[in-house]
Amino acid sequence: MKIKDQVKTKYRLSLQQDAIDEQPQQAGFEGGGADRSRVERRTFLKMAGFTVGAGLSWGCTRGGDRKLVPYLVAPEEVVPGRPYWYASVCGACPAGCGVLAKNLDGRPVKLEGNPDHPISQGGLCAIGQASVLALYDAKRLKAPFNRGQESDWSIVDQEISTEIERLVASGAKVRFLTDSCLGPTDSHIIEQFLDRFDDGRLVIYDSISSSAIADAHALSHGIRAVPRYHFEKADFIVSFDADFLGTWISPVEYTRGYRAGRRFDGELRAFSHHTQFESHLSLTGSNADQRVVVRPGGMRAAVAHLADTVARRLGKKVLSSDLPESGVEQTVMDDICKRLTTHRPGRALIVSGENDRQIQLIVNHLNEMLGAYDAGVVDLEQASLQRRGDDRALLELRDEMARGEVDALFIRGVNPVYDLPFGQELAAAMEGTALVVSFSDQHNETAEHAAFVCPEPHFLESWSDSEPVQGVFAIRQPVLRPIGNSRTMMESLARWTGVSAEARDIIRDSWRQRVFPRAADGATFRQFWDKTLHDGWTEVARDAVESAYDAGALAGLNLRPQAEPKSLVAVTHASMAVFDGRHAHNAWLHEMPDPITKMTWDNFAAIATATAREHGLQTGDEVRLTTPDGVALTLPVLVQPGLHGNAIAVALGYGRKGTDRFTAIGPRWLEGTPTIEEGGMIGANAAPLIRIVDGNLQFSGRAVTLEATGVKRPVGCTQQHHSLYIPERLAIEENERRDIVRETTVIALKTESAHGEHGHDEHLSLWEEHAMPDHHWGLSVDLNACTGCSACVVSCQAENNIPVVGRDEVVRSREMHWMRIDRYYAGENEDIDVVFMPMMCQHCDNAPCETVCPVQATAQSAEGLNQQIYNRCVGTRYCANNCPYKVRRFNWFNYPKEDRLQNLALNPDVTIRTRGVMEKCSLCVQRIQYAKIESKRQGRPITDGEIEPACAQSCPAKAIVFGDLNDPESRLVRANQDPRQYQVLAELGVKPVVSYLKKVRNRTESGGSDERS
Amino acid sequence: MGDQMSGPNVYSELRMPLVDGNKRVGDITADICRPLEGRAGPLWWVAFLTAVTVLGVGVAAVGYLFSKGVGVWGLNRTVGWGFDITNFVFWVGIGHAGTLISAVLFLFRQRWRTAVNRSAEAMTIFAVMCAGIFPLIHMGRPWLAFFVFPYPNTRGPLWINFRSALCWDVFAISTYFMISLGFWYIGMIPDLATLRDRTVSKFKKKIFAFFSLGWDGSMRTWSRYETVYLLLAGLATPLVFSVHTIVSFDFATALIPGWHTTIFPPYFVAGAIFSGLAMVLTLMLIARKTMGLENYLTSRHVDSMCKLIIGTGGIVGLAYATEFFIAWYSGNEYERFVFINRALGPYAWAYWTMVSCNVLVPQFLWFKKIRANLMIVWILTIFINIGMWFERFTIIVTSLHRDFLPSSWTYYIPSKIEIATLMGSFGLFFTCFLLFCRFLPVLAMAEVKGVLGYARGRASTENGGSS
Repeated sequence: MKIKDQVKTKYRLSLQQDAIDEQPQQAGFEGGGADRSRVERRTFLKMAGFTVGAGLSWGCTRGGDRKLVPYLVAPEEVVPGRPYWYASVCGACPAGCGVLAKNLDGRPVKLEGNPDHPISQGGLCAIGQASVLALYDAKRLKAPFNRGQESDWSIVDQEISTEIERLVASGAKVRFLTDSCLGPTDSHIIEQFLDRFDDGRLVIYDSISSSAIADAHALSHGIRAVPRYHFEKADFIVSFDADFLGTWISPVEYTRGYRAGRRFDGELRAFSHHTQFESHLSLTGSNADQRVVVRPGGMRAAVAHLADTVARRLGKKVLSSDLPESGVEQTVMDDICKRLTTHRPGRALIVSGENDRQIQLIVNHLNEMLGAYDAGVVDLEQASLQRRGDDRALLELRDEMARGEVDALFIRGVNPVYDLPFGQELAAAMEGTALVVSFSDQHNETAEHAAFVCPEPHFLESWSDSEPVQGVFAIRQPVLRPIGNSRTMMESLARWTGVSAEARDIIRDSWRQRVFPRAADGATFRQFWDKTLHDGWTEVARDAVESAYDAGALAGLNLRPQAEPKSLVAVTHASMAVFDGRHAHNAWLHEMPDPITKMTWDNFAAIATATAREHGLQTGDEVRLTTPDGVALTLPVLVQPGLHGNAIAVALGYGRKGTDRFTAIGPRWLEGTPTIEEGGMIGANAAPLIRIVDGNLQFSGRAVTLEATGVKRPVGCTQQHHSLYIPERLAIEENERRDIVRETTVIALKTESAHGEHGHDEHLSLWEEHAMPDHHWGLSVDLNACTGCSACVVSCQAENNIPVVGRDEVVRSREMHWMRIDRYYAGENEDIDVVFMPMMCQHCDNAPCETVCPVQATAQSAEGLNQQIYNRCVGTRYCANNCPYKVRRFNWFNYPKEDRLQNLALNPDVTIRTRGVMEKCSLCVQRIQYAKIESKRQGRPITDGEIEPACAQSCPAKAIVFGDLNDPESRLVRANQDPRQYQVLAELGVKPVVSYLKKVRNRTESGGSDERS
Repeated sequence: MGDQMSGPNVYSELRMPLVDGNKRVGDITADICRPLEGRAGPLWWVAFLTAVTVLGVGVAAVGYLFSKGVGVWGLNRTVGWGFDITNFVFWVGIGHAGTLISAVLFLFRQRWRTAVNRSAEAMTIFAVMCAGIFPLIHMGRPWLAFFVFPYPNTRGPLWINFRSALCWDVFAISTYFMISLGFWYIGMIPDLATLRDRTVSKFKKKIFAFFSLGWDGSMRTWSRYETVYLLLAGLATPLVFSVHTIVSFDFATALIPGWHTTIFPPYFVAGAIFSGLAMVLTLMLIARKTMGLENYLTSRHVDSMCKLIIGTGGIVGLAYATEFFIAWYSGNEYERFVFINRALGPYAWAYWTMVSCNVLVPQFLWFKKIRANLMIVWILTIFINIGMWFERFTIIVTSLHRDFLPSSWTYYIPSKIEIATLMGSFGLFFTCFLLFCRFLPVLAMAEVKGVLGYARGRASTENGGSS
């Protein structure tokens, strides 16, 4: 049940829209030509309120007394302390997830996925959650820059306009370089702008490129597009290195779909089978039922072998009778093939994240054979617009720039000097280009070489729009007045062509002309616009798409291996923290433990255990990676199980300029070391390891040599033991593995549920139990749904004002995250299993922490919450010692923020803790209290699902369920009746209210053929 | 001093004289008061200045701790207690020997205690002071330490948590300190009176007169004194067992494997007495040489204390074995793991130090020859103290660092500030003890006089018996 149904105007319209609503209806009034002075006064007051609030929070120090100045004339319907939700679109990556921005005290403090939006469906990834911190970044450029000097818009506009006129007159070559984070209006405005020039072209490239997918579809289906993948319709998923749960194209959407296909709610409805072929250990691979480790460079052969096995089985034509060997045994391929072909067609989905046209052509061929296109599992009709990059156009641009042919270059949303292997050549070429304009909001590697830097505002402070998949449109509205004097690109372009227009008006015009006509429901534009603003999205009619498979595309397929079979090969991949580097200035993301490696504040050369042994390396030893053509990278080693012996996996996105801003992060004390030294960089840039092969950016395959430098680097890992198995020499028979994470298989479950087996312990107690007559809050965590993406970790940090502690403190095992995801390996070499276990305060009914606090700073509430009372805590840490789950976090120091502006990211509903105080997960008590107050105000009981703690709300897989244990109808109680339910360390008698549902793997113990529904 | 089978003074082994050198009552007073009256020798000054410097380092470390936060220690999210509580339990344990000697041995009529009890009790008080500092400074917000007391307030009223072992600690340690202080002081009154009567300095006379509460040495006063002494001894005796039992409850009432065990109360009490006696011997063996007290602190005293050490050390060793056996016998995987991890895991070096110092070292004291060699005994007591410190370290840190969930396993390394704080506590202890040696009678003169005639034999009545 959606909360929206109960609370009428839950999602606000824009700030400006509210103002316009005040206007009496005038003839011909369409909302565009609003009475400027009226709007300005209201927005001025809102800004005044915000500024006062900002000024107050800037001035606030611990223990200080400040006067509060209430609004002189309060904006109507704004109640201080009450949150207002505005629908917008996240701009942290090109996926385009709809969000609801929570505006509290005049500013956004939290983002939540829009439950109605078809891409995010209520979830939001870690990067999206952290983007609210990027809004309050004092180091964002606050004014345009003219040749390195801060300037102002009038001067910059004048110069650029003049230059543009000159370019128009002289028949110049103008190129616009951007990425897929480009809304339809932005696209249109750029096209209009480029039309003025004789040779103007828009070049879109994605730093994590999926250009080969589109190229392959152009050849095989006649449409150059990345399809929309419907994981929920797939019973069999075979992924060739596509990290669809982690970083590939639209992870929130895919996680949701994937989860929908793997439900076990008491009875088996649908449970997909997922096979992952990869060389390094990705998040998706760690969740797969079957994981096949492939030699880096052997992926082409692997896909080809599978395609031919399937073709033979289905009686179709094989690709080649003489395929190169892939290193994968034929029995594995036969097994997979049997699974794919035994049941009715149209239930399989093959994907690949390799940016290799040959592989993508074979993947299309496989999908076609298995009927994936016809069944709509691979949807070309509603294709994705989340990766529109074209590597060939990018390379053409590179060549043009190298030849000095380009007269003007506009760069927006990308950092090519940093994230491309030929970045330095590009930089040199840019120096020779007549006009280079960057729209970046920081002096990044590319903007350094731009004559003009015209900073764009953050996505939370500007108008824009988005079309993530064809036909689905959304409006991105500002939730805050811009901090600093930045201007959206569309406004800048308009200004430079002599038109003075606001972004909102530009978008409205664009929509009126091109989106609204496609809307079907007969509303006026005003109604259409308002509804879209309110809902956060809309869907309009799509053009019919004709696509037919052309087997001729396979002609001339190149099946040679992509890399030498015997050498060490670099495998680069996007980071789940900083993506491609665009978020390298976000402290929350750096401190978020990487879901697989649990490392923070650095990137690593991840090597397989066998390789490490061979070279005598341990985690933390520094190595130098060198390539034959002179690329050298210095990185610390990470010994990573699950890697192929030849693979050295390095995350992209590190080694960004400006990361020495974090030198002030973390407490300063005698033995402490700063997170990064002055002038240093967090991590090393792995972009030089990217190759260009066949007109595509290739992220793996470069041969490297490894040599130790002899230096030992501190590693900020939040976990020091990575297995549920006790170290061998300390283990006793029968007690080698701890029963903390429990797994089961689909077959075992079906048998169990058939027999109605349901083991639950009963605890007898001598004492009177706590009486909890009203509510008894609890959580259920479905380990089967959890992919380990860590969105909950960052969401909790944003919601609960958890401090950033810096690298040194993490090295000392003192990270502050209330919510953590424990990651355990089973096995050591390539063949490993990975399990994830989200762990937060279990709010034990019989809490061991409560009995031992001498000052009663932790107590049981009447609703089952274990409360931590900050102002009573004297910090003896006995409670943390006695917690068997080790979920308590102590404030060892006062943790400084980077600067005061970041205080605005704090959630006003949650206390800030001083040093010496213990803190821990509170089940988002502020949200519980808010729901109780609201329900009381409205005179109704609290409904199930109304309260969602930050972690549960943000989870793209909806793995966490919050509810009332006293309510037999609640989802929580029903989840607890699942035969998979168990509690961690239940035998201790602490009676946690957090239950876990066993992880289900779709495999047999013997690894034979599996069942499916 | 050996059997003399001939002559008028025949001593049986059971009745060896407690004071050597044919001392008379007046000699005792002179011997004990002499160090208090003259100028302090260079040896005392060197020791005192060293102790004060070390104390200064400790004070600086604690000051830095207060200004920056508990993060200046090496603790982390898994190991919340390290050096801090180790030191706390270590110091409290040391204090127990003093009370044992003063109170328990008094009730058991062990007259040899009279030579040791004053300084042992002083040692107890200083040890408890050192101990009491640690719960205070280990808090995250020590300026709010008064929250642990049930003081009247308007917040409910808000009481403390009586179920918490730390709360019991507060009461136990404060009771222990007050009773020990009271007992020590009251026992000292006759001696303070002696000093009052002896001092020449007017200022000192005033002080001693104030503290000796008008002692007149009359029969009635003595009679009352003895009664009070007996009562206080009776009050203090249960403290020997209860205080360290309560300190052990800090661990036993927790659910962490390695802590959650009922053997802790007797194990800790025995260990406390064990370490305390070792510390008494360490101090006494130095004091007797430097202050010329060989006739009072004879090898027989040392011998008796060594026997007590073997006894309590034996209990401790037995407790180690019992813990291991019960852990295995219980079949509880976490309990079993903790002990194997202690012996073979990353802290095995601490564990084996503990075992060798606490179990192997006292075994040497079975041999009379070794007991008689005071130099060796002194070295052995140092090892015993090191071993007992490591026992607390092992119990606290190895149980915490690898508990239930493997994801939270860490390693704890103390920071320099923690080491400085530990040293500082020794500095405080020795500073106080050296001041005590300088200004107060190291031996209980009145009590030693009381046992002077012991074993003189009824034959030697010409000395007039005991005074």
